[in-house]
Amino acid sequence: MNRTVLIIGIIIVAVIVFVLFAGLGKDPQHIDSPLIGKPAPPFTLKAVNTGQTIDLESLRGKPVIVNFWATWCVPCYEEHPTLVANARQLPDVQFVGVVFNDTEDKINQFLAARGSAYPTLLDANGKTAIAYGVGGVPETYFINPSGIIVAKFEGPMDSEILRANLAKALR
Amino acid sequence: MTATFGRFLILASVLVSTTGAFIAYAAGAKRSPEGLKWSQRFAYIFAGLMVLSTGVMEYALITHDFSVQYVAHVGSTQVPLWVTIVSLWSSLEGSILFWGFILGIYIAATTWVNRNQHQDYMPFAIGTWLSCGAFFSFLIAGPANPFLSVVPAPLDGPGPNPLLQNHLLMIIHPPMLYLGYVGMTIPFGFAAAALLRGRLGQSFLRPLRASLLLPWVFLTIAIMLGGWWAYEVLGWGGYWAWDPVENASLLPWLTATAALHSAIVMERRGVLKGWTVTLIQASFLLTILGTFMTRSGVFNSVHSFTQSAIGPTILIFLAAVLLFSVLLLAFRIDSLEAEGRIESAVSREGMFLVNNLFFVVFTFTVLVGTVFPLVVEAVKGKQMSVGRPYFDAMVVPVGTALLFLLGVGPALPWGKTNRKEMLRALLPPLITGAIALAIGYAFGVRNGWTLLTLLFGGYAAHVTFAQMWLPLRQRLKKGDAFAPALIDAQLRRGRRRFGGYVVHAGAVIVFVAIAVSSTMRTQQEVTLTRGQSTTFAGYTVTFTGTEERAEPHRQSTIAHFNIARNGKQVTTMEPRMNQYAAMREPIGTPAVYSTIGRDYYLSIMNLQGDQAGILIINMPMVGWIWGAVLLMGAGGLIALIPARKRTYVVVPKSAPTIDDEAIA
Amino acid sequence: MIATFFLLALLQIKAPDAAQFVGQPKGIPLSGPRLEEQTMVISHELRCPVCQGLAIGDSPSIMAANMKAQVRELLERGYTEEQILSYFEKSYGQFVLLKPKFQGVNTLVWILPIAVLAIGFVLVVSKAKKLEVAPAPAAVEEPVDDPYLAQVREMVEKP
Repeated sequence: MNRTVLIIGIIIVAVIVFVLFAGLGKDPQHIDSPLIGKPAPPFTLKAVNTGQTIDLESLRGKPVIVNFWATWCVPCYEEHPTLVANARQLPDVQFVGVVFNDTEDKINQFLAARGSAYPTLLDANGKTAIAYGVGGVPETYFINPSGIIVAKFEGPMDSEILRANLAKALR
Repeated sequence: MTATFGRFLILASVLVSTTGAFIAYAAGAKRSPEGLKWSQRFAYIFAGLMVLSTGVMEYALITHDFSVQYVAHVGSTQVPLWVTIVSLWSSLEGSILFWGFILGIYIAATTWVNRNQHQDYMPFAIGTWLSCGAFFSFLIAGPANPFLSVVPAPLDGPGPNPLLQNHLLMIIHPPMLYLGYVGMTIPFGFAAAALLRGRLGQSFLRPLRASLLLPWVFLTIAIMLGGWWAYEVLGWGGYWAWDPVENASLLPWLTATAALHSAIVMERRGVLKGWTVTLIQASFLLTILGTFMTRSGVFNSVHSFTQSAIGPTILIFLAAVLLFSVLLLAFRIDSLEAEGRIESAVSREGMFLVNNLFFVVFTFTVLVGTVFPLVVEAVKGKQMSVGRPYFDAMVVPVGTALLFLLGVGPALPWGKTNRKEMLRALLPPLITGAIALAIGYAFGVRNGWTLLTLLFGGYAAHVTFAQMWLPLRQRLKKGDAFAPALIDAQLRRGRRRFGGYVVHAGAVIVFVAIAVSSTMRTQQEVTLTRGQSTTFAGYTVTFTGTEERAEPHRQSTIAHFNIARNGKQVTTMEPRMNQYAAMREPIGTPAVYSTIGRDYYLSIMNLQGDQAGILIINMPMVGWIWGAVLLMGAGGLIALIPARKRTYVVVPKSAPTIDDEAIA
Repeated sequence: MIATFFLLALLQIKAPDAAQFVGQPKGIPLSGPRLEEQTMVISHELRCPVCQGLAIGDSPSIMAANMKAQVRELLERGYTEEQILSYFEKSYGQFVLLKPKFQGVNTLVWILPIAVLAIGFVLVVSKAKKLEVAPAPAAVEEPVDDPYLAQVREMVEKP
């Protein structure tokens, strides 16, 4: 029996099987955000529905939920009522919507039809989205009162998910 | 009714293949001729069951029988007939059934061709094939069952993946790929048989080689078709992205090519038997790995079928065949070895060894690059990517080295030679290499690797051409008439050799065309309003307007462009943006205008009202890649045509030898 | 007065800036064809976060287009390739770099193939040498499974 072949062969088999087995069950589409635990990148953007200018740093002291969305995003339609309802129920939490690659008119039309309970900011060329590491929409960031991002959720949320992530910002 | 019948057929095939495998292995162990006959019967029955089940599925698809789950999943009354037929392999369950279908045909055909020969090996081979057949039948019967019933049966279905309806290349690429992939099972069975028998005799080398060469031809063409499809359909102007599933198709091709080369040394000198067998096993194992990569959902790829329970099952099978192969090798490889020697390392034999080294490094690099992100995530929990820049950086030097060997290897004589003869063989092709280099430079090539590719390519072209026609030249020197010498020396006796050099000729063109099309490519992004023109790479592009076209399964916006050269219109190009009912983001289809020298490629970036944002790419020599790969396939087929039956005789040393060159 | 007002107005809208992540530009601002060239090069080193493994230079998706525009802007301002890649890495993670950084465990992916080439070369040379000095094969007496072959053998071996 050729011992070299046996040993090398068993090692190769073990490595391959271990690697592939470890890969199972992981979702290759999900990317961990490197910003978790780091300060949220500051921005100052204009709200298209209220006309104010929102500066992220001025929101320190309360938890902030930043929701990136767009009017051309179909799952965002589903998520919107959840956000509006929760915003109304939680006055101590600052909700902020950020829209990129979109126009003021379309956004205002959307909000007029579906309701709005918090400022929606226009990030014209997506630079804010890039700084936050946004890939697609909707994506939501949960920031604690000290300005640190504690959680990120990709995809449309329901109230349960929203509250669960919010809890992390309240600890 | 149909679903039930289908399920019955699949269960039957599980039974038949499992039983057949046991019988075949027992027949081999006992060297029983009666057992062999029964193994053959089981092989034929298994094949019949697979063909029948596939027929039943196609019938269900064509008659839109939505009570069958697979049909409900991919069928649709809204799509054209060819799409319906082709949807057999468009989605996971159907594609595994298709795998079983091709496997059955391969097993039956090989069993039949060898029905009266190699009785020592065939039972073990059939046993191994039927074991693989049993696994795939089990997959079809269990986790990937397309024949489940849907009650109540829906009235219509969503149709297959829209990407597959975009282009006709999708009809031939998957079957070609399966013919290549699945075909690797056959030489694997032969190799296992040789190991189990503890012997790899000279007379068995031919069927072993032929069973490897046939799937190799299919796989070569399939990989090219995949690249061509990506190029014509995906719109980013490239044909290879080192996507995990693309890599999955390339890996077995690399080891199979290496095996084909080491098999030549094996035949000539009787050495490297264990190594060749290892490579053949690796080629099969890599196809199983490849199918795991495509179907498990573990890899992020444009190709992936959706995640399902099938992943762990394939992984277990992969672990099992890996273990089987390793144990077989460990216990039997020494009984294959030590039958020959080589005369000198600096010879054609030596070059074959170096060739194998580089193919192995190539395979290893692609494998490591593909799997590395998984390893890092498993070990450190961090996500990272290994993309095109990595593969291009690592593979280009290896490929260039292989091209170098393609020239130098066949130039060197077999066995020991003296220095003078070696120089006589190695120096003249340098002139052709230099000419190729000069021509490239004159055309504007400045990239270092491309210049090197031209030098080595010209050298290799010279050597390949000279060696290809050597038998004919020898005959003409002896005074034979041209036409009969041509047919006899090249096509009758020297067919394997001639075919091999045709493959090499194609390969040289592929190397050069890839190098030139990648480094000499230019592009321009421009936005045109209707009526506006731009000039790029010798053509004037005028945007003339858009057109909306509604089809049952998609809504397309087609942009029309006039292409003119020197004021005269040459053609029109119509890239489009397709919005499929089933997908969220639109998919663009580029327009490609191919001429012999280059491809002019138009892709829509965005369409807003009267404005079209387009990407224009000029890529020289792209068409040569597809043609040259077809040439490679043709060479392989030429080499496959069976010669008149030859038998091998061991001749005592005193007998006169024949001129080695004219044979191989 | 007007200048201050203007300045204040300008300061109103501010998206997060690369400067906060990677500091001041360390290179020369680019323009013209050189700018387009470098944008292309860097766009092919960054991965589109929502696509299946495509580079932002190849992807038609909206986020990819935004990222490409950001790359171009940063090049115009004089940021180096290293800084630009670092900026995207800080927001998206190492996932977004298509060329693995030569750092930490990632060095393996670069070194292993070269190691295999080196080890393989040594093995090939030693195997070739071994095969050169191997004893010439004795005439192997194979069990005959072909009657024709058996007949020929008999004829050849008869004295």
